Amino acid sequence: MTEIKRSAIFERMWKREGFRAELRAANALAIKQWKVEFSYPLSVLWFIVMPILWFIPLLITGTAVSGGEESTYLEGLVGTGDWLSYVAIGSAYAGLSISMMWGTGFALRREQNVGTLETLMTTPMGKGTLVWGSTLHNLQHGGLGVILQLCGSVLIFGVQLNIWGILPALGVVALSIIAMQGLVFTIVCVILLAKQAWMVVELLSSVLFLVAPMSYPIAVLPPALQYISVASPLTWSVEGFRGFLMEGIGSSLVLNAVGALIVLDVVFLVLGVLMFRYTERYVRMKGALSQF
Amino acid sequence: MTDTSIDSKEDQVFLNGSSYLTEFKPVFFDWTAAIIIAKKNLRLAIRYPANVLIWGILPVVWFAPFILMATAIAGPETSVYFTELSGFDNYITFSIIGWFVIMFLDNSIWGIGNNFRWEQFSGTLEPLFMAPVPRVSLLLGAAFSDSIQAVFQTSMLLGISTVIFGSRYVLTQILPIAIIMLVMIIALYGFGFMVAGLIIVFKDPSVLTELVSEVTWMISPVQYPLAALPSPVRFAAYLIPTTLAIVTIRELAITGIMNVVSFLTALCGLGLIAILFWTIGLGSFRYAVRWSRERGHMGGF
Repeated sequence: MTEIKRSAIFERMWKREGFRAELRAANALAIKQWKVEFSYPLSVLWFIVMPILWFIPLLITGTAVSGGEESTYLEGLVGTGDWLSYVAIGSAYAGLSISMMWGTGFALRREQNVGTLETLMTTPMGKGTLVWGSTLHNLQHGGLGVILQLCGSVLIFGVQLNIWGILPALGVVALSIIAMQGLVFTIVCVILLAKQAWMVVELLSSVLFLVAPMSYPIAVLPPALQYISVASPLTWSVEGFRGFLMEGIGSSLVLNAVGALIVLDVVFLVLGVLMFRYTERYVRMKGALSQF
Repeated sequence: MTDTSIDSKEDQVFLNGSSYLTEFKPVFFDWTAAIIIAKKNLRLAIRYPANVLIWGILPVVWFAPFILMATAIAGPETSVYFTELSGFDNYITFSIIGWFVIMFLDNSIWGIGNNFRWEQFSGTLEPLFMAPVPRVSLLLGAAFSDSIQAVFQTSMLLGISTVIFGSRYVLTQILPIAIIMLVMIIALYGFGFMVAGLIIVFKDPSVLTELVSEVTWMISPVQYPLAALPSPVRFAAYLIPTTLAIVTIRELAITGIMNVVSFLTALCGLGLIAILFWTIGLGSFRYAVRWSRERGHMGGF
């Protein structure tokens, strides 16, 4: 390649801007992460069996305490006694959330560990695109996990899904990604500042999952935790997702969940983006980007 | 004068070192090396006290969802079905013991099994492997430090759970519980050696460790009694050192009744499992090290 051609390519790269350019960059990042994951054969096996492995202990526990497929106590709390479907759908959504939080939250740290963070930061793309690219990958990764777990639950364990609720449930996923992205930006900030921040992330995500109604309604939580639960987008995401997949589009409770999710989307995304911008600038000013 | 004394000290150290090397004869096990590694790892752990603290608190957050789910399905009181299945009338007390014991298994997988991987990440694996000491001593040293940390973390877990959930256990059976725990920990060392061998060969620790950890956890009677598992799975569960320990400790700590025959049976069973895992663990670990060294694979990621 001649020098003129090479400089023409660089010039085009530097001039690139706009949504499509950022989308292409995010897509390239997502594909890169798939390639990394598939270079470890055990990762592929883990990816396939993981959703079912997570669900089985819940299934055995539920059976051990209920002795059957129906629960009158749960029916009194949420209006359905089908605990198996209730838990299967809720925990399937947990897989997507974990993938988003851990996978995306630690994306920059992973790049730092392999020595590519600074190089990526000097490329002509928006700094947020680095995080959005990882979100795209983890959405595909976690989304496939949800599909695998739900298919496994339907085929193996006889979980009932309302097919009319599938499309609206995907809408809930789309809404929840926006609010989750706000949370992810917060996690990225903690990692950029504290570096070895797995403890903070582990504690934060564990508490969020504890107060989210994945396998139980928030009514069984202590009152103080119920308040935290109401303010968490995970709660409304799970309620909306499960509500559509169990009851279809006719439930008013599901519409409440969607309304709450829209409000939390705005709050979490605005706060998350502002925090990320400030933190990223602060870390670069301090020259602490490559510090371990 | 000062210079001469430094020189002589350095010479002395050098002479001591070289005499150690010239007189070195391969031994099966080196206690000094094991204790030094244990002390080194403990010193590192003390440098991050929040880590130890967090590992005491996190399991409470992990098992609380199971308790909440059981409450949502069966109501605030423990269900009759569960009592018939397990023989215990308090689900919370039942599962806390499960988590208390399984933390040791988790520790042996993540701590002992991954020990050389962590050394590799720190860039100290190859220098360690060049030291004229048996590799098993290094691994056992790491296992000692992990056990000490696990005892501290599980004590914290038990204390916090007792305060939050108000669970009460019979303290009079502490001696037989300690004996069972000791034999279980010895058996878990063998299990940890086996995992360490696998990780030396397969490298990527997150996936393999997660896989081993999730599968062993799933078939262990932590949240549910063994009777809730299908028969073939129940048989596999008994091959995990923690299963017999969980069942026996539950009986001792919750009911306070010691059945000598079942206690001795459990102890013998754990002893046999310990011999089995040490044989398989040491064999697979040595094979993995040799396999990895022959291919120049040791420092590879």
